[in-house]
Amino acid sequence: MRGRRPGKPMSFRNSVTIVASPRPRVGKTLLARLLTDFHLHEGRSVAAFDLNSGEGTLAQFLPEHATASEIVDIQGQMALFDRLVADDGTTKIVDLGSESFESFFALASQIGFAEEARRRGIAPAILFVITPDHTSVEAYRGLRRRLSPATLAPVLNEMLGPAQHRDKYPTSGSGASLARFPVLAPGLRRYIEKPPFSFADSRLANAKDIPLDVHIELQRWLRKIYLEFRELDLRILLVDLQSSIRLQS
Amino acid sequence: MARPAVVLVGADKGGVGKTTIARTLLDYFGAHQTPTRAFDTESPRGTLKRFHPYVTEVVDVTSVPDQMKIFDTLGNAEARVTVIDVRAGLLSSTLQALSDIGFLESAKKGQITFAVFHILGPSIASLEEIAATARFVGDANYYLVKNHINDTSFFEWDPATYNSYFKQIKGAEEITIPKLNEMACEQVEVASVPYVSFVANKNAKGEAANYSFVLRGYVRHWLGNVWGEFDRVKLVDLVAPKMESNIRQAAG
Repeated sequence: MRGRRPGKPMSFRNSVTIVASPRPRVGKTLLARLLTDFHLHEGRSVAAFDLNSGEGTLAQFLPEHATASEIVDIQGQMALFDRLVADDGTTKIVDLGSESFESFFALASQIGFAEEARRRGIAPAILFVITPDHTSVEAYRGLRRRLSPATLAPVLNEMLGPAQHRDKYPTSGSGASLARFPVLAPGLRRYIEKPPFSFADSRLANAKDIPLDVHIELQRWLRKIYLEFRELDLRILLVDLQSSIRLQS
Repeated sequence: MARPAVVLVGADKGGVGKTTIARTLLDYFGAHQTPTRAFDTESPRGTLKRFHPYVTEVVDVTSVPDQMKIFDTLGNAEARVTVIDVRAGLLSSTLQALSDIGFLESAKKGQITFAVFHILGPSIASLEEIAATARFVGDANYYLVKNHINDTSFFEWDPATYNSYFKQIKGAEEITIPKLNEMACEQVEVASVPYVSFVANKNAKGEAANYSFVLRGYVRHWLGNVWGEFDRVKLVDLVAPKMESNIRQAAG
C-alpha cells in the first residue's frame, strides 16, 4: 500500500468532492454538474457518482461521466466507496441527494472513508450548500465532527437569496472557506435545464440553439464559477503542503 | 514473570461462533503486545489454525498427551496467555478434565489466571449448559457471550429464566458481540487471515492485499466494538496485570 512517509510534506494527487445538503432543491445537482464540467474543462479525467432518484439527475445530464449509484445494499456501497478511494488518477465527484445524506455520511464515518482517502493521497472534500434552516445547521455541525479529516467547505448559493446565516457555518479543515455560487442571469435557466447537457461541450453555442448573447452571458457566469472552483481546488489540494511549510518556518 | 493465563472458549453446541470469538481474542491480545498461543481442539483439522497458523496448534483435549502439551507447559511457555478453542459439546467434559488434573485447584489458589468464554446459542437449551458448567467454574472469570455476528433471528430468551441461570455463576459478566455484515464476514473467511490483517489490507504472508475498502471498514468498525466489550470487562488487566507483577518482581 502506498503510504505517506511521516514528516514528509505532500500535496494530494486527486480529490473526492461530495456535493451535499440535507435539503432538497438547493442547487446540488447544478453545482455537481458545473464541478464535473469544470474538471473536464481543465483536462482531467473525471468520474461522477449520482445518488439521486427522479428526474433531472446528474447521470441524465452527463451520461458519459456520471454513474447512477445507490448505497442501500453492500454491493452498491462497495461499488461506490471502493471506487472513491481507488488511486486511479481520476477526480471524483458525488452528487449526494438529500434523501441519502444521512445514510451516506453514517457509512462514510463508520468505515473511515476520509482517513482512508487521505492515506491514499486523495483529498476528501465536502461542498455543503448552506441554508438557514436548523436541520442544515445541525447536519453541518455533525459533519465537522464525524468527517473531521475531510475539508468541509460551505457554499453560498446566491440563487437562493441573501444569506445572513453564513456565520452559522464555520469552515472546517485547513484550506476551507466560503465558496460563492453566483446568480445566473434571469431567463437563462431554461437553456441549461434539458438533459443531457455539458457546460464543457465545445459545440455548446451551435448545437443547443442558444442565442449568441445568452451564450456570452453563460460563459461569463461559468468563468465566475470556475474561478471559485479553481481557488477551492487549489486550497484543497495544497492543504497538507501548506501546513507542513508553516510548521517548518 | 506474571502468572500464566488460560482462556477457554467453548459452547455446548456448534455453529454459535466459538472460533470467531477465539479469533477476536487472539487479535486483541496481539494488539496489546501480549504473547499468546492457541490450541484448536477441532482435531484433526482446525478452523482456528487456518486463521492464526503461527500461534495455533491442533490438539485433542481429551487425550492425556495433548493435555500434557497444553497444561504442563503453562509456566515455561513464552506465551503468557493460552487460548483454547474447545470443540462443540466438549466444554463440560473439558472442565471435568481440568478439575481432575487439579488445574481448577491451581486457578483457585491464584497460581493461574483462568477465564471461560461461554458462547451462547440462540436457544434456551444452551442456558442449561450454563448450569452444568457452573459447578466447575467457581473461581474462574466467567464470561457469557451473546454472539450476534451472524444474527438472523433474535435471541428469544425469557429474561426471568435467563437471569436465574445467569445468577448461578458468581461474578459472571455478559459480553455482546455485535453483528458483522454477511459479506464482510464471508470475505474474511475466504481470505483466511486474522481480522486485523484484513483491516490492514494484508494477506496471510503479510503482503499488501486488495480487499474491498468498504468491507475492511465494516470489519474494523465491528472489531473495534468487540474489543470495546473486552475493554469493558477489563480483560487485558486480567491476563496481564502489569502493575501488579512489576510490584511483585520488585518485592521478590
